[in-house]
Amino acid sequence: MELSPKTNPLSAEPEIETSHAEEFVEQLRCVADTLPSRINIDAQSVEQGLAKLVLTLIEFIRRLLEKQAVRRMEGGDLSPEQIEELGLALMRLEAKLQELKTQFGLADEDLNLDLGPIGRLI
Amino acid sequence: MKLYVYCLAEGIDVRREPTLGISGASVRVLKTENLSVLVSDLEADSAPVTRENALTHAAVVRSVLDYFTPLPFRFGTVVTEQQLQSYLSTHKAILESKLESVRGRVEMSVKIIWENTIEQQPQSQNKSQVDKQGAGTMFLAEKRQQILGDEHRAAEASKISTWLHETLSELVGDEQVTLRPTERLVVSAAHLIERGKIGQYREKLAEMRQNRPDLHFLSSGPWPPYSFANIGLEFKTQFGVS
Repeated sequence: MELSPKTNPLSAEPEIETSHAEEFVEQLRCVADTLPSRINIDAQSVEQGLAKLVLTLIEFIRRLLEKQAVRRMEGGDLSPEQIEELGLALMRLEAKLQELKTQFGLADEDLNLDLGPIGRLI
Repeated sequence: MKLYVYCLAEGIDVRREPTLGISGASVRVLKTENLSVLVSDLEADSAPVTRENALTHAAVVRSVLDYFTPLPFRFGTVVTEQQLQSYLSTHKAILESKLESVRGRVEMSVKIIWENTIEQQPQSQNKSQVDKQGAGTMFLAEKRQQILGDEHRAAEASKISTWLHETLSELVGDEQVTLRPTERLVVSAAHLIERGKIGQYREKLAEMRQNRPDLHFLSSGPWPPYSFANIGLEFKTQFGVS
């Protein structure tokens, strides 16, 4: 079949409908920033790419530890001293991770992975 | 010389209207058995990721959508003709099945932003509280508030997604839904619907807008079925860096 203007009965121009265009532009920019990017294997970028990957995994584990700590605290199986000690350890871990992010020029939203159909890691 | 690949379609023999593709090269039809692929020659090994190239890719795929529903290739797919022919012949059955699933259908998109940000504010730490409970305990108490707030927002997002699904289910052939891709974007959904039902789909969305003024909607389409093509090429997809 030849494609010509005379044979396009299915033509339908796309329409975009919203009353809040600016809000969506802002949110879609955020989505674009989290799209999986490819690591360029060059001296300048490989270090930051690997740091991003490693710090993302550490951040994921850190959040799991926080949730587990909160669950244990709510469950009442920790003494006040244990809660305080656990809280201090997690607080220091968060501060250390923040320090590493600054060192590698990464923002909070950089630490995530798109896992395709499963969604995002964090 | 390599080929830049735009989309897969069926039943196209020639293009009467000359169309320019990536790098200004003419778009042509490469045929293998019943499958037709829109390609253009590319001297480079990759197509730089630029706004112009992305729009060109979209325009070429769009030009086919006016006649048939194509299976779009991922932006930046650059291969040799031999690789492409080999891929088409070995995946013929799967590709024909995918074409069958999108035939006569288009992709419509809905995104919803939730205005009601139910935030459970973390308790502020004043000196007396810290002295009484300790900084570590206060830290965990704040985390507890954050986790509870996040769980609440996740539950609300799930309810909105279910409402969207149930309201449109009669019109939707297939769907790809992402919950909370960003903090404020509650749902991002792609729906595969029959071309003749675009009007009904838009009417349903208009009703939903009226029923939930607290939600901000963005609907768009019809688009080629990018979210449903998922053509997994077994050869390397090459990207340039702009």
